Amino acid sequence: MRIELRGITKRFGSFTANDRIDLVVEPGEIHCLLGENGAGKSTLMNVIFGQLQPEEGEIVIDGETIKFANSGEAVRRGIGMVHQHFMLVPVFSVAENVVLGFEPTKSFDRLDRKKAADEIRRVSKEYGLEVNPDAVIEELPVGLQQRVEILKALSQDAELLILDEPTAVLTPQEIEALMAIMRSLAKAGKSILFITHKLKEVRAVGDVITVIRQGRVVGSVPPTTSEAELATMMVGRDVKLTVTKEAAAPGDEVLEIRDLVVRDDRGLAVVNGVTLNVRAGEIMALAGVQGNGQTELVEALAGMRRIESGTITVRGRDVTNNKPREMLDEGLGHIPEDRQRNGLVLSMSVADNLVLNTPRRAPFARRGTRNLDAVEQNARQQVKDFDIRTTSTRELVSSLSGGNQQKVIVARELSRPLAFLVASQPTRGLDVGSIEYVHRQIVNQRNEGLGVLIVSSELDEVFALGDRIAVMHEGRITGVVDATTSRETIGLMMAGASSQSAHD
Amino acid sequence: MTDLATPTPSAAPKVIPVGRTRVIGYITAGLGLFVLLAFGLGSSGNAHSVLTFTPVNTSTNAPWSIGALTVLTRYWNMAAGLIAIAIGVHMIVRRPAKGAMVRFGVAAILFLFALLLWAGRDPGPSQGLHVNLTSILIGSSALAMVLIYGALSGIMCERAGVVNIAIEGQFIGGAFFGSVIASTTNNFLLATLAGAVAGALLGLVLAFLSLRYLSDQIIVGVVLVTMMSSLSSYLNLQVLSPYPNLNTGNLASNIAIPLLYKIPIIGPVFFNQSGFFYFMIVLVSLISFGLFKTRWGLRVRAVGEHPKAAESVGINVIRTRYINVVLGVAIAGVGGVAFMASQGAFQVGYTSGLGYVALAALIFGRWRPSGAVSAGVLFGISAYLALNLQTYNIPISTEILGMFPYLITIAVVAGLVGRVRPPAADGQPYKRD
Ligand SMILES: Nc1ncnc2c1ncn2[C@@H]1O[C@H](COP(=O)(O)OP(=O)(O)OP(=O)(O)O)[C@@H](O)[C@H]1O
Ligand SMILES: [Mg+2]
Repeated sequence: MRIELRGITKRFGSFTANDRIDLVVEPGEIHCLLGENGAGKSTLMNVIFGQLQPEEGEIVIDGETIKFANSGEAVRRGIGMVHQHFMLVPVFSVAENVVLGFEPTKSFDRLDRKKAADEIRRVSKEYGLEVNPDAVIEELPVGLQQRVEILKALSQDAELLILDEPTAVLTPQEIEALMAIMRSLAKAGKSILFITHKLKEVRAVGDVITVIRQGRVVGSVPPTTSEAELATMMVGRDVKLTVTKEAAAPGDEVLEIRDLVVRDDRGLAVVNGVTLNVRAGEIMALAGVQGNGQTELVEALAGMRRIESGTITVRGRDVTNNKPREMLDEGLGHIPEDRQRNGLVLSMSVADNLVLNTPRRAPFARRGTRNLDAVEQNARQQVKDFDIRTTSTRELVSSLSGGNQQKVIVARELSRPLAFLVASQPTRGLDVGSIEYVHRQIVNQRNEGLGVLIVSSELDEVFALGDRIAVMHEGRITGVVDATTSRETIGLMMAGASSQSAHD
Repeated sequence: MTDLATPTPSAAPKVIPVGRTRVIGYITAGLGLFVLLAFGLGSSGNAHSVLTFTPVNTSTNAPWSIGALTVLTRYWNMAAGLIAIAIGVHMIVRRPAKGAMVRFGVAAILFLFALLLWAGRDPGPSQGLHVNLTSILIGSSALAMVLIYGALSGIMCERAGVVNIAIEGQFIGGAFFGSVIASTTNNFLLATLAGAVAGALLGLVLAFLSLRYLSDQIIVGVVLVTMMSSLSSYLNLQVLSPYPNLNTGNLASNIAIPLLYKIPIIGPVFFNQSGFFYFMIVLVSLISFGLFKTRWGLRVRAVGEHPKAAESVGINVIRTRYINVVLGVAIAGVGGVAFMASQGAFQVGYTSGLGYVALAALIFGRWRPSGAVSAGVLFGISAYLALNLQTYNIPISTEILGMFPYLITIAVVAGLVGRVRPPAADGQPYKRD
């Protein structure tokens, strides 16, 4: 499918999210879109997908000008989309989500569940994206949900596939696999629009790279362009792609986890005897393939999941099975892996979301009433410091771009005195400029004595931040090593080898 | 791509501890203790109760006769109490992940049964009164039927994401028009149709205000109930009072199913009922099948859980909601006709909150038709007993007895809060970007 956008303009009120965008995707082409958080990439994709109506401009598909009234029409015209914020029904099974809208049926409108499950098994085998068709979405970690979202788009045999940041929560192997899928689809003549913030991926898989800044096309370049040049085009200034950090000067233990056992929603002990400690002034990176118990471990630390046995100690105080509120009082900062579910109240403003963890304290509360001036002032400061792109601090946080929503959480968690910070994929969906800033902030706080636990399936981040690296596999810590350990060793440990045998 | 499969941790799955189960366990055990002490030990050792099983319903002469059963009140009730205590203690200790409400339901039925035996005991205050089990079940079935109609209506609306708290008002509307049409045409099919149309129109109002103008659905619901109860008083005064032949003798006759209705005890309860009862059973099966087995149901539930996701695969959220609300409220309208036809005529205020109990049945039944049936039966029996225990000379005032079904409702709903999950988008206005 050849798709051409001519002068697409999309406004939200007085704010122009897309400003006269021209773009052509040829059949068999992998077209990458790069741009800062809030540049207007997702908005543009939603316009193509029929979810948003542009104010101006037209979309031409194979020579024919078309107008989609809704995304159903776009899907029927052969467009598939992987959404940045998944369009999955949490209480449905994987199979139900994948077939929704295109259900195979038997007589009397009955769902053909067997056919649906078989079809999913076939597609997931074909593309190497294994998931259990009967698993319920809300019980899956985000990485697996991402797989389902991709499967859903692939199962429709789309002629144009839109992938809006599909790699943000995938493991390196999954990303490899996805890129292989993209290449084979392109070879078969399908067109692909691919959004990512990882410059490496763009250069590895793209045929053409188009950079967008503040709603406008900055230019299109070939994939041979260097990462530094791409970053500069995107952000409009030079960006340091790796943080330089001073050696850690660890102090006393702030967080001690001993023999922790935690069950997941199905009752399985997915954290199965974890022992780990984090000292003040150091960053402990917890590496591991998603779904090995990290999610539940973090939830237990945040007081959001019951601890079956074992203890958690913060600065010598037993905090096992504390409530979330009590954990906040102990000085916990928490960046959750699923920002929309556990990090934000989407129907509240940016300013209110920025004080969610401290609404009852001075200066945001006074004698039982809220101090809205202080809330507003705080919001202005954070929006400026963290470069949160929003038209106003009163804007609903749901209307922010994905990366900017993430920045709201990071800003909130880092802006009060903490004892320790637990961060799951803290830079998920952030652009290179913002990653630089957030990494810098975390390192600065570490220098001032904060203990940090970073949970990430992304080795780049693990190595960029970690002073020590712990690897988790099947609910256990397979080893704690220092940051000079090779990637290969860590990779082996992530697959289950102990640190001893991995070294040999 | 070998190491991508999800890990399979070695530990076997165990029950998930749920704090609430304990609370319900305590309530259940407490209920059992009360039965044991008040109804068991509260009856003297030589007291006995007589259970009979012949419907007093005169339209069909019982072709069979089953003798009366005399039981020793004290020991039967002590047994009932002990069973309820055992169920409660089991819940406190083992905290089963599922079935807490079913267990509570069983204990509540035991409670009601013991209450009956106790009320009819001899020697006791109401000597000579037998406990006619079959009659009680028949009487309860009429109330249960109405509650189930109401709960089904709620299921249709809320599964698609629109809260319908105006079931009470829709009962009233259906009952009013049903009575007028039944009286003028003497045809219950037409009356049912009239009730359904009245309901559909009310549904249209609810859908229009909440889908087009994104009004708060609870407030629209309250307004609808208030409007319907005032309107029905007004029309009653202006129309039904001056023309009494518009509202007369509308008792729906029973249709006995050959042979089956002769089954002792339950035959007359299930197989000698009005058409409304059978229609309700058809509806329950249809909606249950539709919601969980068909493409239509999958789409409706998607709309109620995550309208954006539904929209993104081409499902028309607004249209789905319109259709479901209109159909759902039509069902409530039919429920109103059914109630009217079991009472014989329309009366102002005679639904006395049944629509709200239906709402509780919807929650107790976890937004499922099968659950609505269980809840409807439990609430139906307790509501019927509250009305009819007055014939026994028991030392409890009728006002207190009248509170009984609502007390059970409160206990049930309080025990459930936080345990059952409504559809995620229930009650939330949906706006396309
Ligand atoms: N419904 C909306 N109402 C108001 N503003 C909106 C709405 N949707 C998006 N915006 C604004 O449009 C801008 C572009 O958002 P968009 O989601 O397209 O960014 P993006 O390029 O995808 O960024 P990211 O990389 O963070 O996902 C943002 O500044 C956002 O605040
Ligand atoms: Mg985006």
